[in-house]
Amino acid sequence: MNTKVAIIASNGGLFDAYKVFNIATASAATDAEVAIFFTFEGLNLIHKEAHHQLPLPAGAEHLAEGFQKANIPTIPQLVEMAQEMGVKIIACQMTMDVMNLKKEDFIEGIEVGGAVTFLDFAKDANVSLTF
Amino acid sequence: MPEITADMTLDCKGLACPMPIVKTKKAIDQLDAGQVIEVQATDQGSIADIQGWAKNTGHHYLGTVEECEVLKHYIRKANPNEVNEEKKYPLIISSDELQKKLSENEKVTVIDVRETAEFAFNRIAGAVSIPLGELEHRISKLNPDDEIVVVCRTGNRSDMACQLLAGKGFKHVKNLESGMSGWNGSTINYDSQN
Repeated sequence: MNTKVAIIASNGGLFDAYKVFNIATASAATDAEVAIFFTFEGLNLIHKEAHHQLPLPAGAEHLAEGFQKANIPTIPQLVEMAQEMGVKIIACQMTMDVMNLKKEDFIEGIEVGGAVTFLDFAKDANVSLTF
Repeated sequence: MPEITADMTLDCKGLACPMPIVKTKKAIDQLDAGQVIEVQATDQGSIADIQGWAKNTGHHYLGTVEECEVLKHYIRKANPNEVNEEKKYPLIISSDELQKKLSENEKVTVIDVRETAEFAFNRIAGAVSIPLGELEHRISKLNPDDEIVVVCRTGNRSDMACQLLAGKGFKHVKNLESGMSGWNGSTINYDSQN
């Protein structure tokens, strides 16, 4: 039985994106089954345009250079790797309705679902994380 | 110092977490069970990460060598059936019995049939390294009348080696029960010779 990792992403900054996708890709590479539920501002992390230019937290803009120097993958690259390794991406329907977003506004290969879609996966998860 | 050979070398130099892990996972999928990968990384966090990764995926972390600020991690791809394979060669020797023979200086040749990378990091003093895949064509260098104990990690590869040797007319061959995983005598490891 594989380890199951359930993640909720509810914030939309660059730091949040790295926390979510680093854990997700590392888990998937370690043969875990991973699902991420994107809700509220977390939807930015999988939004077609927004996930290419996620903001740094106020006052941390100077770290942009550090991100480049550390030779870390970009968020779109991490998302692609995550999907390649079978990470399940679920966008929250309710938040999409509130923000007037359509499935087409997001990257390819996502699922749209409600809270129960995530809970169904998370109920027997070994690791549950919220970012 | 024994030479360490790997079936594949993966360059993760300059990459930060989680990339060494992600790339190692992809690379090991290309290998056959039993093969060894060398992962070169400069991320110090990879020392702990690679070990945690191996523990969770079931692959066998052999060790790490640091050379000129490059970390070389060695991992052997596990065979899903490795632990369950049936033993067939009947003559076995326990860890205690072999230790007794060695401590009493009995004339016994210990042949270690693991990969060179495994041998380099942890082995019985005086053991000779002949990876299982090379045993057949190095067999002429061995004496069929000698008393021989064959060792691997868990006793499976050495079981095959024992059968091969017995089939070639070796008369006094024994398999070390449970291999290095059951060995409670002293060992030589990579650090102690530097």
